[in-house]
Amino acid sequence: MDRRLFLQMVGAGGLAATSVACPRFLSKGKAKAEPAAPMGIPTSCELCPNKCSVLAMVEKGRVHKLNPNPENPKSRGMLCARGNAAIQQVYDPDRLKQPLIRVGERGEGKWKPVSWDEAFDFAASKLKAVKEKHGPEGTLWSSTEGFQEVFFKNLGMSFGSPNILRHPSLCLASVNLAYSMTFGTVPSFDLQNAKYVIMAGANRFESIITPDTMDLIGGVMERKAKFVYLDPRFTVTASKADEWYPIRPGSDMAFILAMIQVIISEDRYDKVFVDQWTLGFDKLAEHVKPYTPEWAEAETGIPAREIRRIAREFADAGHRAVFYAGRRSSWYQNDFQMRRAQAILNTIVGNWDREGGMVPNRRVAKGEFMFLPWDDPKASRVDEVEKAFPLTSAKDGVYLPLRENVLKGRPYPVKAWMIYKQDPLHSVPDQGKTLKMMQGMDFIGVVDIAMSDTAWYADVVFPESHYLERTDPIEVMPGIWPAAVLRQQVVKPIHDTKPMLEIAQGLAKRLGLSDYFDYTIDQWIEAEAKELPVENGLEYMKKHGVVAFSEPKYGTTRNAVYRFVTKSGKIEIFSERLAEAGHDPLPAYASPVQPPQGRYRMILGRKATMTHAALANLPWLHEHTPENDLWINTDEAARMGIRTGDLVEVSSTAGTVRLKARATEEIRPDCVFMLHGFGKKSPWLRSVHNVGAADAVLLETAWDKVSGNAAMHETFVKVVKV
Amino acid sequence: MHEPVWEFLIVNYLFLGGLSAGIFFVSALCTWLQTDGQASYPRIARAGALMAPWPVALGSFLLIFDLGKWWRFWKLFATFRWESPMSIGSWLLMIFTGLTLVNAYAWLTEEERNRLFAKLPAKLPFRQKLMDFHPELAAWKRNLAMIGFPFAVGVGIYTGVLLGAVQARPFWNTNLVAQLFLFSALSSGTAALILARVLDKGEKDLAEFRFLYTLDICLILLEFFIVLPYLIHGQLSVLAVREALGLVLGGRYTFAFWGLFLVPGLLAPLAIELWEFRPVLSGKGTLHITRNLALTAAGLVIFGGYVLRYVFVFAGQASGFK
Amino acid sequence: MSKTASRRYVMVLDSRKCIDCKACVVACKAENDVPLGRFRNWINAERSGFYPRLRASFDPEQCHHCENPSCVRVCPTGASFQREDGIVEVREADCIGCKYCMVACPYNARFFNEETQVVDKCTFCAHRVDRGELPACVETCPSRVRTFGDITDPKSPVHALLEGRRYRVLKPQTGNGPQLYYLL
Repeated sequence: MDRRLFLQMVGAGGLAATSVACPRFLSKGKAKAEPAAPMGIPTSCELCPNKCSVLAMVEKGRVHKLNPNPENPKSRGMLCARGNAAIQQVYDPDRLKQPLIRVGERGEGKWKPVSWDEAFDFAASKLKAVKEKHGPEGTLWSSTEGFQEVFFKNLGMSFGSPNILRHPSLCLASVNLAYSMTFGTVPSFDLQNAKYVIMAGANRFESIITPDTMDLIGGVMERKAKFVYLDPRFTVTASKADEWYPIRPGSDMAFILAMIQVIISEDRYDKVFVDQWTLGFDKLAEHVKPYTPEWAEAETGIPAREIRRIAREFADAGHRAVFYAGRRSSWYQNDFQMRRAQAILNTIVGNWDREGGMVPNRRVAKGEFMFLPWDDPKASRVDEVEKAFPLTSAKDGVYLPLRENVLKGRPYPVKAWMIYKQDPLHSVPDQGKTLKMMQGMDFIGVVDIAMSDTAWYADVVFPESHYLERTDPIEVMPGIWPAAVLRQQVVKPIHDTKPMLEIAQGLAKRLGLSDYFDYTIDQWIEAEAKELPVENGLEYMKKHGVVAFSEPKYGTTRNAVYRFVTKSGKIEIFSERLAEAGHDPLPAYASPVQPPQGRYRMILGRKATMTHAALANLPWLHEHTPENDLWINTDEAARMGIRTGDLVEVSSTAGTVRLKARATEEIRPDCVFMLHGFGKKSPWLRSVHNVGAADAVLLETAWDKVSGNAAMHETFVKVVKV
Repeated sequence: MHEPVWEFLIVNYLFLGGLSAGIFFVSALCTWLQTDGQASYPRIARAGALMAPWPVALGSFLLIFDLGKWWRFWKLFATFRWESPMSIGSWLLMIFTGLTLVNAYAWLTEEERNRLFAKLPAKLPFRQKLMDFHPELAAWKRNLAMIGFPFAVGVGIYTGVLLGAVQARPFWNTNLVAQLFLFSALSSGTAALILARVLDKGEKDLAEFRFLYTLDICLILLEFFIVLPYLIHGQLSVLAVREALGLVLGGRYTFAFWGLFLVPGLLAPLAIELWEFRPVLSGKGTLHITRNLALTAAGLVIFGGYVLRYVFVFAGQASGFK
Repeated sequence: MSKTASRRYVMVLDSRKCIDCKACVVACKAENDVPLGRFRNWINAERSGFYPRLRASFDPEQCHHCENPSCVRVCPTGASFQREDGIVEVREADCIGCKYCMVACPYNARFFNEETQVVDKCTFCAHRVDRGELPACVETCPSRVRTFGDITDPKSPVHALLEGRRYRVLKPQTGNGPQLYYLL
């Protein structure tokens, strides 16, 4: 069954596939030299946040193939389509090959190739000019997570800007905050051992998360775990579920509250656990009384008897039942509270820190490189996060409220924008507003590997070396199967590109910040590797690419002395801190506004080959989805005379796009859907330039009330046949 | 359905190969049939002998250049694989083409040969030798006809077997396809000779036309009575075959099959030829040849033969198992 | 482990676990330099039903490395051949590109490679298998749909799967004896 069995059989036991240089037979019995199995260079994938371990096979100085590295238990010995396609980023003919300075108007696409010195001088002078006029807080530094993000962030901070804007508020901020507020930490879900799994909108078989996707498919198909799935769209995940309910969008919390109501009213909750570890259960019992399955049926469209049955089955599965948190952007403005409801549901069945339940993350220890610290910024953040979202992570910021403030010039002007590894024109709702924000900037600098749309509108573009061309800091990935991974250089940069650290150093030198960047990547890694839980950490890391714990540990927090990192030291079903901040201390349901007649709710989702905006342009992925289209329910389409392939115009208050329609049974009649990553303005993304449409154009500005996380399902659109 | 991998070049090749086989067959028949120690229909025999090599040569030429690596075509003759219809067929075709060329040479008059050799560059050392070489080939004509028969029939059958031997394509995979292609090839060859005889400005003999018409009517009828059971038996066969036949019974190739092959390409020429043959059949008179009708009938037969191969090549590839 | 006289490589697929993620297809592209728009392996998706009663299933497919491969039989030059371990391959130097094998394959598993100008197909990554590695599609598969091994070896995982589970093969009626086994 396990692929390693085959390897053990054929080669030496248990070693990595590619390090088994031990062929057992010769073709046709000819006595020729045995072909030596090539050795792969271990490194870590960068195409999505999973950081899977790969072995790069290099032939004649060229990366020919990326094989999965079975040594990392988190990546479960696999490599997905995106990971396999990474090679094409390196050899993309349209790649950024040297620094560029804009010579025409913004977005006009006239570029002057320049030397790194010119690019650094240009950017530094612009940044200094903004600093002189508006102070360091007049600069904004935004980035998406990555191993070298730290250097970019540090550059912004040492420059004195408080405005470091990271990706969580476009991603999982609401989930993280809801679970942290309840448990004091964000746990993982042990899908490898769970017996009953409910997922709401977490399209785990199309947006792959390691090891959850692999564990779930094994669980559902091999160990007969029961899997209930809620989604307005019939996704691949829906097709694998035991039960799929196309729930009314925005009503997930009603479903969860009704489950809690059934479990409590029927005395099916884990009394011992609730008594010993939680705070506010009585208030919860009182709070959920009106949330009966009958009430929830009216909200969700799921029959009360099914909700009741699912609640009973869930409670009966006890600590091996999980309501999966999901990991993606918020959907609605109540997203935090919905996730809180999930956390509470999980709590009352007592699945905390149990095999098959919700397990607090472990970490692989690593050292830290000590660099010269800088002074804290004098100004407060432009997004006023401390005031508006006091519970959320201030250091990461909140993207959409920030954009609103910058557009209004409030509380102070922000006139320079440095962007690393991010394409805000596609990853942030309302492209029009983002463009407007860009137009208001005196200076925009972008660091990327390809000419993203955002780079296309920048003033200077710094080409970063691809992940296969550079060595990055060691990254720790907490989890039930925690790992620390290294990304090391596989091939020399093929163009005049630099890793982010060197770009930061180049700018730092000209900004007078060199003291803060007085180190090399090797020194950085060496310091990190020193405290890895293996002998000769650095050497081990270079040879294996990963240090991981392959045996899960359960129950480490289930002891008398353990204190949850919450105000009360217990699991907070009822949260005083929420009450103090003016939010519902227990998740209270408000029925979401539904689209008026003739409008549809736009919902988002991913496909296994296309998750991030940068991926659609890769030929090996693009050939499976040459163009995105608008999913619309067959009946609705028929009513409007729309057939699959017809061009339709889709509009919201934010913008209008045109793309082909797909009349399908696989979506609720009140929703429409389109895939992310298309409709690019940059001609250097040749596969998707002006192909299909960009969801970001349509999405309106809305955010979760508690975390400030972008709410992506709050847009109603009109669809007209062209 | 996946796109067809064999396209018009294969259609042309199958058609041209079959046409040559048919022409040679009829020519050989006319050589073999004797009246008073002389070939019964010498003009047909000679016309056929001289025509036979060219379609197959053109077809093979086209085919070779359609290969992915045409310069490797010699590899076809580096091996003989009795399991592969194409291997057998390639050898058959090569031998057959050679035979038709020798046969054509045998039917040339001395004067014609000399005229041919005169066109060779004067510097060629063997030119004079060729011009001086006049073997008595007339006696060989009959032997060549006898040797050629099985190869002509073989080539005619091969064009069908090439398709019929493919189990994966239910539209092809019946023993009727080989016969169908053979009789269609012979009929096309006959029609080509009718055309040649009608268009020939020289002396004409009604007996020749009577022979060709008789032959063609028989061949068309044979063809028709293969098409009929092919369709009927297919309908009574397993699902995959029924579905495959659906391609010509309502599916994508229905018009081509009925509207281009069966009616105009088979039944119409049959009707015309029978109409012309009517006096003979009723015993009330002799064959009457109307130039335009004869040309039309022969033309339609050839056209039908081409469409038949088009339909089979394309519909066959569109058929498959589920 | 002694060198056994006969091996027979087969692939067992648990397509219920297939999530149509295309990892196998892209891995194959990279490993075998398959041109854009052409595929040595692919995933058949079947969708049916009416909202909200819907069904979708995914079956990965590639060359079946048949017991009686019709492609090998019809090849006029012997370029298509079967190794003793059952793997069906195309010897590039001998292929003249007549495409007869493509027509003869019941699974449409072969394609004409415009770059090499010869017929191309899945080889079970024979070059990897000969080094003791797994085919690229098997190794990379996130949901472990694929199991590869020697069916004559009782210790092989494919052996255990086929003994313990019910399975089907595709288009058995052609008599080709396909060696991709789909678990039920």
